[in-house]
Order: sequence, then C-alpha cells, then structure tokens
Amino acid sequence: MPGNRTKWSCATVAVLTLSVLLTGCGGSDESSGGGKTVLRYTWWGNPDRAARTQEAVALFEKEHPGVEVQTSFAGYEAYKQKLATQAAGGDAPDVMQLDYRQIDQYASGGILLDLAEQKKALRTDEIDPGLLATGVVDGTQYAIPQGRGTEAVVYDAKQWKEAGVTLPSKGWTWGEWADAMRALARKTGKPGSVDPGQSEDCFEVWLRGQGKVLYTKDRGLGFTADDLTRWWTFTDKLRREGAVSAAEQTTQLDGSVENQPLARGTAMSDFNWDAPASGYTAIVGEELTLAPMPSGADGTPGQYFKPSMFMGAAASTEHPEESAEFIDFMINDEKAAAILGASRGIPVNEPIRDDIGPELKDFDKTVADYQDSVDGTLKAPPKAPPTGDNSLQTTFQRDYDQVSFEQMTPREAAEDFITEAKAELRS
Amino acid sequence: MTTTDIPAKTVRTKTPAPPPRQRGRLRREGAAWVFLSPWVLGAVVLTLLPMAVSLYLSFTDYDLFNAPRWVGLRNYVQMFTEDPRYWRSVGATLMYVVIAVPLQLALALAVALALKSMKRGKSFYRSAFYAPSLLGASMSIALVWRAVFNDGGTVDNLLSDIGIHTGGWVNKPGWALLAVALLTVWQFGAPMVIFLAGLQQIPVELYEAAAVDGASRKRQFISITLPMLSPVLFFNLVLQTIQAFQVFTPAFAVSGGKGGPADSTLFYTLYLYDRGFVASHMGYASAMAWVLLIAIGAVTAVLFRTSRSWVFYANEGER
Repeated sequence: MPGNRTKWSCATVAVLTLSVLLTGCGGSDESSGGGKTVLRYTWWGNPDRAARTQEAVALFEKEHPGVEVQTSFAGYEAYKQKLATQAAGGDAPDVMQLDYRQIDQYASGGILLDLAEQKKALRTDEIDPGLLATGVVDGTQYAIPQGRGTEAVVYDAKQWKEAGVTLPSKGWTWGEWADAMRALARKTGKPGSVDPGQSEDCFEVWLRGQGKVLYTKDRGLGFTADDLTRWWTFTDKLRREGAVSAAEQTTQLDGSVENQPLARGTAMSDFNWDAPASGYTAIVGEELTLAPMPSGADGTPGQYFKPSMFMGAAASTEHPEESAEFIDFMINDEKAAAILGASRGIPVNEPIRDDIGPELKDFDKTVADYQDSVDGTLKAPPKAPPTGDNSLQTTFQRDYDQVSFEQMTPREAAEDFITEAKAELRS
Repeated sequence: MTTTDIPAKTVRTKTPAPPPRQRGRLRREGAAWVFLSPWVLGAVVLTLLPMAVSLYLSFTDYDLFNAPRWVGLRNYVQMFTEDPRYWRSVGATLMYVVIAVPLQLALALAVALALKSMKRGKSFYRSAFYAPSLLGASMSIALVWRAVFNDGGTVDNLLSDIGIHTGGWVNKPGWALLAVALLTVWQFGAPMVIFLAGLQQIPVELYEAAAVDGASRKRQFISITLPMLSPVLFFNLVLQTIQAFQVFTPAFAVSGGKGGPADSTLFYTLYLYDRGFVASHMGYASAMAWVLLIAIGAVTAVLFRTSRSWVFYANEGER
C-alpha cells in the first residue's frame, strides 16, 4: 500500500537523522587510546620547551604502560584564552600548566583538584615550603610550582662589545640603564632595548625599586596615576630619542620570543623572564647573556623570584591518581628533570636542583648562574595577583600604545588605566 | 517587467481556513514537523536558546568560573558612561563601515559593468573575480594579508620601489584600518555577481531608445542603469552594511588579535571578544552583543526609510 510505504520511508528518514545526531554527540575522546587511561596535558611555551616536554612525556608513558598522555601547547596569550573557555565549558584538561595570575581565579572557580588528597602519588616534601605555599589558595594546595624564575635584561654580549658599550653590572640603576641604551643607539644606530613602557612586569620592577607595590595586600592598586605618569614619561622620552624601540615595533609584541625586537634584529636587548629567553639562542647565538634588572636610584632591587609556572589537575578529571602521578613525575623525577633542564625555570625540588646544577649546559647553565648571582639579594615576592590582573596586563599594553603613537599624553593614558583598573578590581 | 518588490500586502493575505478534518490535518502537520525537525532543533538549540541565555547574562556579572550574579543594568551603564575604549571601538567600526562598504560596492559595480559589455571570456572573468569571496573569510588569507602589509612586506617593498615609503601598514594607526578595509573590498565578488544579474534584467529597448534620442553613455548610465539597478544596489548595500558591522576574522588576524595599533582596528566584535574571552566578563560581552544587534537593526531601518527616496521600482513607474 502506498500509504504504508510513505509511513515507512518517513520512519526511516527519522531514524537515520537521529542516529546521525546521536553519533555526533557520542564521539567523546574517552574511548580512544585502546583501553589505556588517557590524560590530557596542556601548557604554553616555545618550541624548545615543546621538544623537551615531549621527551619527558614519552619517558613517563614508557614507565607507566597503562597511561597515554595527550599533550597540546600554544603561545601564552592563546593558551590563556583557550584554557578559560575549556574550563568554563566543564572540559578542563586533566593536567594543566597555570600561571601565577590564573591560580586565584581557577581555584575559587572550583576548576582545580585539591592536590593534598593525592599525597600518596604526589610528593611535596622536597620543595621549598615558601615556594610551595604560592600554590595555596584559601588553605588548599591547588597547584604545585614547577620552576623558579625571575626577570632579566637579555642581550647579545658580542654585539655590545663590538659597539664598545660597557656591559651591564649588578646593581645598575634605571638611570644607568637609560644611559647605556642611549649610548647603544648612538653607536649602532639601532635602539638599545625594547620599549619597557608596554610591560606591566617592567613597571612592577620599577615600582618595587622605589619601595612601592603593584597591588596592595587587600587586592587594591598599590600605585597612583602620578607613578604611572612618571614611568610612561620616562619611557616615552627614551622612545623619542630613539634609545628604545619605535611604536611600530612595540605594538607587535605578543609574548612570543620571535616577535621581540631583539629576535628581529631591530634592538640590542630585551626584557624577559630568564628561562623563556632560551628561545633567543636559536636566533641570536651563543653569546646571549642575562643581566639583572635595573634597580631603584638608591640600589633597591625591584625584581623578585616568582614561581614561573604551576601544574594543577582538574577537579573534574576521571583519573585523579594518574594525574597526580604525572605531576609528581614532572616535578620530582630525576630523569625527567635531566630532560627538562631549566626550560620551565630552575627546578623547585631541592635535591634535584643541587643534583642537576653541575650537569646543566648551554643556556640552562646561563639561567642557573644568573639566578645564583642574584639569589639572596632580592626581596620577598608579592602575593598572587588578584583575578582582574589577567586582563589589566593587556590593558596596560593597549594604553601605552596610545602614548607611543602619540595619541595621548602619558598623563591622559595613565588616568585611563587607573579608571579601568579600578573598575576591573572592583568586580 | 520584473517585480523585485513584493508588496507587503500579499505576504499578509490570509490562506483559506483549513478544512475541519482534524485527524488528517494532524497527520499532515505531524509529517511536516518530522521533516522540519533537523532545522527546528538546530534553530532552537543552537540559536534561540543561546540568544535567551545571552540576554539573561547581559544583566549579570559572569566570569565563566563562578555562577552569574544579577547586576541589573550595570553592564549597560558602564558601557555608555565609564568605558572610553568602548567608544573607541564604536568609532573604529563606524569608520570601517563608511570606508569599506561604499568602496566595495563601487568596485563591484564597476567590474560588473565591464563584464556586462564583454563579448568573450565573460564566465572566466566572472569566476576569477568571484574567487576572493570564497577565500576571503578564511584565517589564512587574513594572515597572508598581514604579511603583505607588514613592514618589509610586498606592499611596503613595491611602494618603496616607486619612491613612496609607507613602512608596514598594519603597524600604523590610520593605515591599519585601511589594510583591513582593503581585504573586504577585495572580496567584491558576491555583490558583483548580484549586480551582474541586475544589469542583465534591464531591458535593451531602454538603451536603444536612449541612443536614438542621442543620449551619451554617461547620460544613459545616470538615467537608465542607476535607477533600474537601484533595487539591487539597495539590496547589496543593506547586506554589506550588516556584514561590515560584524566583521571579525580579518581584523582579528590582521591586527594580531589585539585590535591595534593604538586601538585603531579595535572593531566592535573584536572588543566584544576581548571582554568576553580575554577579560572573562561574559556578562559585559553579552550586553555589548545586544547593543550591536539593536544598532544594526536601527541602521537597517534607517536605510529602508531613506530607500523610499532613491530606490526606483519599475512597476511603480507604471502606476
């Protein structure tokens, strides 16, 4: 009967449509891996770090045949956005690398696993207690610091010597730094440095050199529009003199080493964190050197040791034990430490730090020696920045763009920043 | 004569009342719903529900991690009174719409006119000019665009060869927006094809009569082509304006994701993305999205209002 046929074809179409929809929904990643436990591990970093991480992960998989670790990495900015979206969607990776700026937000949002519950798999007794405490939010250990880092002036000693400019010395002040930049520009025709005006990190070092702070203990702003105006006036003047990079160069900075003027050969030095500066070795060459950050006029150091990054596990993970084992491996295993070297900062596990210290070579050794040279002279690190700092870092760069392109005076841009910062920290 | 205009009345005319046979009707409608279900499901789950949620979120403070907190109109108030960057993004978007849309339409019309009078190879050129429209929306083209207009890029080098030193466009406020606008203008294929179709609808008799009366080509263009083409022109204008307000990918890629330099390409959607996904203010971003929706609606309404005075429908002339 024709009527029946129509009915049947309708039903067939409906069933087919539904099955297509359902297959689309059911394709979760849990099933892959051939019966193995699959851990997802995400992090940010440069290609050098990527190569070493892959090697360490392969070793972990060899030692734990039942576990497969799927890794993915990106540059910091992209990573930050992707992780936030994943976490909000309830799809946080099992193990994730976190920045000091993210801990507060992720812990209070219930994204992170209480790692103290996994004590059996994850040992923390060999980590410096002060450093370990940086991963604690409201009394709970949500994350384990993975390395120790500090900022540095990164430069190519060969170029500086050729230009006949005195190399940076310990305890140099911002005034001396500025003179060196002018001298470099005069002798080489290239700006001496990237423009530090765009960097909230550099501003913090400058502030601390004057005994001030970026954020107060109760999560308010630790500086005024006057302070920021002075900083931006200082850097703006250097830019006009050609001593630091031009606005067209500065605006392209996105956190990746390749886009820094030092890597592009358009400036003679850079401000960066010590470990990630390894990314320059492939571009700049062997004489890549780290010097301490300039200090305040009276010699007060502004830079500090901070946990360069953390490892945390997702509260939603189905494999808390394996996740903890993996974190333990990355932080406490000697063979892993030998592979990773200083690519994530100097290790936090103290026996391992002492063991691998003499073994370090190339740029890893440069980083270790640099940290030794400033160790003991620096002041205590500030508390983890408040949640809003995450976006203020970008706002800082944007507002300075207005200054370096001469669309606003340092005063106007500083007032703008303070307004936005207050709104950001209020919420 | 063709009628591009469908009078509103015919749409509203009532269909005759359905026959009283309820069972048959139910069966027929049931089948209709089954066939419609893929679309209906998609529309409800992927469009209507998210829209409703976003409307709700626009009245809250929501950081993606903690539950949304009701704040009433605060997001809207903050947007209009306390956020200088918001107004910079509105300015950049308007500037972009005003530059990109007319340029794109003018180019599309010019190429369509040239193609219309072509004797041979018409379909080849039509495809060739249409190709950028197919490629243009992709991220890769936008990245290539950035490289082409960067310092040391193709454009910089070519201009330097003829003695004009511009440097990289994408790193100069004032020039960067132009680079993004050119990417849009380059994708003139879609409006061009529509123009071409419109041009072919214009009766040849009109031109013949004009030629007999001794009208110059310029005169013919102004007195015949433009008025006869005005409905198509209007259609393209509305479509491209709406699209231009929502431009995202090219600006995101060309400006390296930041809307720089100095916020010069910080288009509305880019700032919206920044607020939502970088600063984790989803409530604020949702409020921005609703303001954009209303603004686009208002601009479209204004365009329709003005169209009465310049869009000529052939059937009106006969009345």
